[in-house]
Amino acid sequence: MKLSRRNMLKVMAATGAGGLTFGWKAFVDRPAGLARATALRGETRIMSVCQACPSGCGIQARVVDGVAVKLEGSPIHPINQGALCPKGQAALEMLYHPDRIPGPLRRVGPPGSINPADWEPISWREAITEIAGRLASLREAGEPHRLAFALGETKGQMNDLFERFAAAYGTPNVIRYDSLSHQLVKTAHLLTLGVNALPAYDLENTRYILNFGGSLLEAGRFTQRYIGGISYTRRGQPNRSRMITIDPRYSVTAAKSDEWIAINPGTDAMLAMGIARFIVGNKLYDEEFVREYTMGFDDFDDENGVRHMGFRSLVLSEAYDLDRVAEITGVESTTIARLAGEFAQNRPAIATLPIRGGLHTGDANGLYTAMAITALNALVGNIEQPGGLLLQHEPAFAPWPEYFVDDIAAEGLAQPRIDGADNDPLAEHVLQNLGANLNTGEPYAIDTLFLYHVNPAYVAPGGQRFTDALENVGLVVDFSSFMTETAAHADLILPDHTFMERWQDVPWEGLGFAGFGLSQPVVTPLHDTQHTGDILLILASALGGPVRQALPYDRFTDLLQYRIGGLEDADWETLIRLGKWGHGPYTFAGRGSEEWQYIVGRDRRDAYRDGRFDFWSRELYYRLSGINPADLGIKATGDEVMLPHYEPITYHGDEDEYPFILNSFQLMALGEPEYTSNLPTLQEIIGMHVGVRWDGWVEMHAEEAARRGLADNDRVWVESPFGRVKTRLKIVHSNHPEVVNIPDGQGHTANGRYANGRGANPNALLPPESGLAGTAAFSNTRVKVYKAEE
Amino acid sequence: MTRWGMVIDLDKCVACQACTVACRMENNTPVVSPEESELGRSILWNEVFPLESHAELAAEDTGADFLTRPCQHCDNPPCIKVCPVQATYKSDETGGQVLQRYERCIGCRFCTVACPYGVRYFNWYAPEWNPEIARHLNPDEEVSPRARGIVEKCTFCIQRLHKAEQLAEEEGREFRASDYQPACVQTCTGKARFFGDLDDPDSLVSQLARSRRAFRLLEELGTRPKVIYLKEG
Amino acid sequence: MALPRNKYQELLLAPTRKFSRREIGILLILSAIALWGLFVYIHQFINGLGITGMNRPVYWGVYIVNFVFFIGLAHSGTFISAILRLVGAEWRVPLARAAEAITIFSLPFGAGSILIDMGRLDRVLNTIIYGRFMSPILWDITAVTLYLFSSVVFFYLSLLPDIAILRDTLPDDAPAWRRRLYRSLALGWQHSAEKYRRLEKILGAMAIFMTMLVVTVHTVVSFIFGMTLQPGWHTTILGPFFLVGAIFSGSAATIMIMAVLRWKFHLEEVLSFKFFNYMRKLLIALALSWSYFMGVEHLTVIYGNTSEEMSVIIAKFFGEFSATFWVMAFFCFFIPLVILLTKAKRSIGWLVTASVIINIGMWLERFIVIVPSETYPRLGYDLGHGLYFPTPAEISITLACFAGMALLYMLFTKVFPIIPVWETAQEIPGLHGYHGFEEDEAEEEHAEAPEQIPGYGDALEAGHA
Repeated sequence: MKLSRRNMLKVMAATGAGGLTFGWKAFVDRPAGLARATALRGETRIMSVCQACPSGCGIQARVVDGVAVKLEGSPIHPINQGALCPKGQAALEMLYHPDRIPGPLRRVGPPGSINPADWEPISWREAITEIAGRLASLREAGEPHRLAFALGETKGQMNDLFERFAAAYGTPNVIRYDSLSHQLVKTAHLLTLGVNALPAYDLENTRYILNFGGSLLEAGRFTQRYIGGISYTRRGQPNRSRMITIDPRYSVTAAKSDEWIAINPGTDAMLAMGIARFIVGNKLYDEEFVREYTMGFDDFDDENGVRHMGFRSLVLSEAYDLDRVAEITGVESTTIARLAGEFAQNRPAIATLPIRGGLHTGDANGLYTAMAITALNALVGNIEQPGGLLLQHEPAFAPWPEYFVDDIAAEGLAQPRIDGADNDPLAEHVLQNLGANLNTGEPYAIDTLFLYHVNPAYVAPGGQRFTDALENVGLVVDFSSFMTETAAHADLILPDHTFMERWQDVPWEGLGFAGFGLSQPVVTPLHDTQHTGDILLILASALGGPVRQALPYDRFTDLLQYRIGGLEDADWETLIRLGKWGHGPYTFAGRGSEEWQYIVGRDRRDAYRDGRFDFWSRELYYRLSGINPADLGIKATGDEVMLPHYEPITYHGDEDEYPFILNSFQLMALGEPEYTSNLPTLQEIIGMHVGVRWDGWVEMHAEEAARRGLADNDRVWVESPFGRVKTRLKIVHSNHPEVVNIPDGQGHTANGRYANGRGANPNALLPPESGLAGTAAFSNTRVKVYKAEE
Repeated sequence: MTRWGMVIDLDKCVACQACTVACRMENNTPVVSPEESELGRSILWNEVFPLESHAELAAEDTGADFLTRPCQHCDNPPCIKVCPVQATYKSDETGGQVLQRYERCIGCRFCTVACPYGVRYFNWYAPEWNPEIARHLNPDEEVSPRARGIVEKCTFCIQRLHKAEQLAEEEGREFRASDYQPACVQTCTGKARFFGDLDDPDSLVSQLARSRRAFRLLEELGTRPKVIYLKEG
Repeated sequence: MALPRNKYQELLLAPTRKFSRREIGILLILSAIALWGLFVYIHQFINGLGITGMNRPVYWGVYIVNFVFFIGLAHSGTFISAILRLVGAEWRVPLARAAEAITIFSLPFGAGSILIDMGRLDRVLNTIIYGRFMSPILWDITAVTLYLFSSVVFFYLSLLPDIAILRDTLPDDAPAWRRRLYRSLALGWQHSAEKYRRLEKILGAMAIFMTMLVVTVHTVVSFIFGMTLQPGWHTTILGPFFLVGAIFSGSAATIMIMAVLRWKFHLEEVLSFKFFNYMRKLLIALALSWSYFMGVEHLTVIYGNTSEEMSVIIAKFFGEFSATFWVMAFFCFFIPLVILLTKAKRSIGWLVTASVIINIGMWLERFIVIVPSETYPRLGYDLGHGLYFPTPAEISITLACFAGMALLYMLFTKVFPIIPVWETAQEIPGLHGYHGFEEDEAEEEHAEAPEQIPGYGDALEAGHA
């Protein structure tokens, strides 16, 4: 049954009479009274968690007369150990920001308007009634899959809450932003190590860091964790670690490294393979580890007696001759040999992956690059070892209550995902596809879309497509605290608290051992905002049935307390006082131990969970069965498809017309939530390394600029086959000459008074396509740069 | 006597600017408009800046690309001598910080010109905050917003010393050097900053100051800074 | 009692007799510019120095340039009236007051520029309440105040007999305010030989004091730069360099003023070309001295080749200040020298042109000394490295200072004789030791002739013609 207006009214009337009821009173999250008070001047210090980026650092808020006046790093939180980066320091400007959305709004003007006159304040009751009615009718009509969730950085129980809500309601459409962020790192680990999780590195004990393209010290996913670990190793000779950064751009991380390798863009896999060749060829690898705990190093026969090529044969083949590697990467063969020797002989040595960096190339290059880099760690046996690659453990929260999946839900869940993630054997979430699919209405039209902490109109390549598409959705609900580009196209904005007013568990990442920080309100909410978790729970209770059964909590704090209650020695009051729960230090799973057997291969869906690291990826082999790799854009054939290897990137744009390769990079001053660009203090420090404040820029090598007659601070157009943006030129002296860099995070057309209209958005230059594993295309676009007429 | 000093390990510093922002939040320095900051009128007591173009420090072979720079709190400060009204002074009774009497400064900017480190900041206009954002300002008296037309500078967060001493008194115990640290030291992401008593030969800062990596900015000027840097490597 | 006998008396006193319509017009224009500047200043006082182009690290801009420039200008008067008096250069006599009036009227604007530059003028008394005498600013305040006070006394004393002459020769139709003014200011001066003798003695003694002061003041002015450690400033040569520069620009200003007076007040007979020629020679000497200091300063720095000093030098010679620097160098030295050695030998017009160029050059020289050093401090900044450029507000206030000085100068010439009457008198009755001015003229000229450079005689004759 199509959901016509008339039908919907009918359904609403029916449910209204038949039990669409919910208890509504405005919830006020007050700071818990248990906070540690100092004797001084009646101030209190409240422990919480910073969420201005995904690092999850513990914070300690200094609160005077109910006003938060300073944030400090929590000294007992293992991720930051008292430190707090500029984003966290400036976060108070977000809490007390004049651009915050003060309460629920309904758009009465044209889509995309950021003019306050086009938005009408409504009450929470009205908003929730409308949404609940709509969701009830949708489910009644047997079309629950037409509800979709687009999620940005969603931590801990909030993530579970969304997924559980969706599953009980009956929609497969929970679309996280992973494809725009860190998907490939997880996928590469899944295909090799068999663990579908982000890596954790035991940096403190590392002696040698081979950093492939990652801005670890500025904008990794858990920046503070990297900084803490690496700076710990820098405590003078003789214990000091050595760090090599391989990146076409001379990032701050590269500057802080002991050596910078200005590699040709997109050829990291080639370099990793070249290093592997030298290590293998000279027998510098960990033979015991490779023999006992890996798969596919040597050539092997499968159960059908078919001979397969192993990693050794591949790296020793003609394709990875060091001279050829040198030619393609632009790194001298002696340097490659030296790096390989240093890496293999300064153990524990670790090769780190960029979180986004150049990995999301829009084709197969990125995934194989990540696999090749991971293979380096396996070659030296540096897995689950001091100074090596660790596995992030999760807290064992109390199990969720059982619920009944009714027929409506079962049917809905059986529907294809709206982002097409199920079309790709490796994809999990393909947020950037959402725009195109909403536009075409394929495979079906979306009726209601919830957006949580995500701004695809800005952050997704081809974001414009996304905003147009939102008009095809019956009801778009955004939980944003600020008027982002996407929120401006929503029908309803139900503003969430900022993280300083919100309860939330933030599980640790990048440390290895299990634990989480507890984000708790440090002040009483300033505005008429509500915790999105509370809103979902109210919706669940209004919907009743299996949804309520799956989420039998009135408030998000109830849910949180229930889940945390399952942890051993987790006491709510202690938790509030300390702001964290966790069990360190890390215990390494010894090779071949029971734990090792459990961990390595843990998340394989199809392949054996046999405690072996795959050089030749069995998981990939099974997943690709029946699929022609070429259809997925994989250029290799035969066994090479399962092995880490180098594939050249296919660039958009002709080299003659578009001489530069675009590299968008992330800044220390701007975090992943985009409201950070709306904080005036962060705008003031934004481009310290190039002397830019309150603006965006494009970095170009001095010689290239001179050749084009461009001067520092010229206004220039940066044009790709997909669009052009105007920004300021900054001349840099250390950079790959073929690459130009634009920082990610500026160039907003909404988002608030301090962010709007500064610099250029590099995502507007990118193709709205997807590569292997559904990842967005961030680094396969060529651009030209020319002077703008004023 | 206590002589407060800071050690900054450039090997650990990652130029993140947390010190810059922590300082602003602690000491209520105002945000200036884009146009003003383009003119170089930002008031960031603790700035981080690239060293690429600076031959003097490259020659010192610090190995660092970036320098984070609070007031050096010289033992022989050139700024004090030139002040015509004794608005800036070295506070020996609190441990040698170079401080500014905001209510006395006449805004002649001789000290800003005389300081070879450029750590002194002038209020070209009256500081302004968005009234909403202004709510988070630090309520401590010592850092109440400054007036137009005067010079201000890093104080090693003197308000924190006052509070730490008061707290020690309220708790009925001796004040310890570890009770007091400036905001930049507390927040440093790379744990590159150390703070303590340079007159105590056993303090961590004293030990680090004797490191073979230790140097001071523009040491040859004889200003005797109490901020000591450690080279990379 | 008889007045000093001066055959040009009426000519010299003529400007004080009435205001012409055109003069009133000029006075109004100058007042308007000065009032506009005052208005801009009030705006600056209320809102802050942000309305200027100053920034970090260029904390001092054209206000301080003006301060140094005006103080420099002031030196000409003292130099001509005091130093030349001491060395007995009698040719200075008709020029002395015009020069000294420059001192009197530029000093307040010099000192005022410091006040204008202050962030908190309302707290200026703190310099007295909490004064720290280690600060060169207090040295400046002391020296400039003393200099202003002594100059006023010195100037007033030498003006006294002429006020009495004005009082005694005032026509019957003169306005009452003039009568009252002259009567009170003359302090009952009687034209007795004894008084003239005593006056000469006092002036002679004061000249010694003033000579010391003139050296001190500008050296102290240079100290506000030289006492800092900034590259380009921290050099011992700065004191004498500033002093020579001051006298250089002051002398050029004197020539400009003399030419204007000669032309407007028809003083061709009194201010004959001969005097201009003396000044021309003086300028040549000063230009050479100035370039000597300039050369020594830069050569020392370049030879030493320390990186922080060189970054300033490079900015001056080849960088963003190169245009200003080379214009300055040509305006202060090359162009004026060529003019002074050629065309200006015969033409007051060319001499004035050279003087104007010198003064523009000297203003730029102050700028070039002050701003590049600030732009390139020892510790390099890539952030907030604003290139300083004065804003309309600063230009308005600068113009107002010049207009204010011109206004005061003009008013003075309309009330008092700008060429001393008594000192240029042929005879002062009863004063036997007095060398009548005209009588010595030829002799002095003759005495100097042998030292003249070839061709000098021609020029002199041309001047007399």
